[in-house]
Amino acid sequence: MLVLSRQRDESIMIGDNIVVTIVDIRGDKVRLGINAPSEIPVHRQEVYEAIQRENLRASRLEPGDTQGIGKLAGRGSLGGQPKPDGNGPHRQ
Amino acid sequence: MRINTTRFGRIDVDVADVLMFPSGLPGLEDCREWALLADSTNDALGWLQSTSRGDIAMAVVSPRRFVPEYQVRIPRSELTPLAIADIRQAQVVVVVGHNGTSLTLNLKAPIVINLEARTGRQVVASGELPMQFELSPTQPTLKKSA
Repeated sequence: MLVLSRQRDESIMIGDNIVVTIVDIRGDKVRLGINAPSEIPVHRQEVYEAIQRENLRASRLEPGDTQGIGKLAGRGSLGGQPKPDGNGPHRQ
Repeated sequence: MRINTTRFGRIDVDVADVLMFPSGLPGLEDCREWALLADSTNDALGWLQSTSRGDIAMAVVSPRRFVPEYQVRIPRSELTPLAIADIRQAQVVVVVGHNGTSLTLNLKAPIVINLEARTGRQVVASGELPMQFELSPTQPTLKKSA
């Protein structure tokens, strides 16, 4: 792995069109600004990996597993649901 | 196009109906072409069937039908590859999973489909949303006795 030291407001370039800037450093938290072409998806790694795991699990679902799902329409409510995860990345 | 599927047997899909997912789906990056099938027994349910792998299919539903308050906010940059300016121009579906006890919906990562261009993409929605939104209670509702 390539390791570079950077200070606040300094950047690195990946290729000729991706710029990663150190926006802020506070304690053990670093805020990064990412400028990349829109066709390059940017994800928090743990979020992307969670989606991968969820898709692989969901792809094993069989039609028999979904019986009765129609009866649950309109019943779900976001209040009281656990396990929220972080915000998606924001671009400027 | 004829697909031999493990779930639905041999099916015929009009090539014009095939949806292109240029990035595949996370975890299934090689599956770039999908057919959206209606479930024969349940009109609330659809199946995204991979056209290249007969054993890969994802159950999908329209999220608002199950979670009326669900409002999906998607960074514009996530929609640019689909050539969609406004999310209202798109068909949004979410993937149905199972966590061992309940059916779940992945509200955090909906699939956005540009029906006109026949392209699709799984995106990460803004805000705190569950990837395993439990749809059905584990236990049947207890009936009140008189």
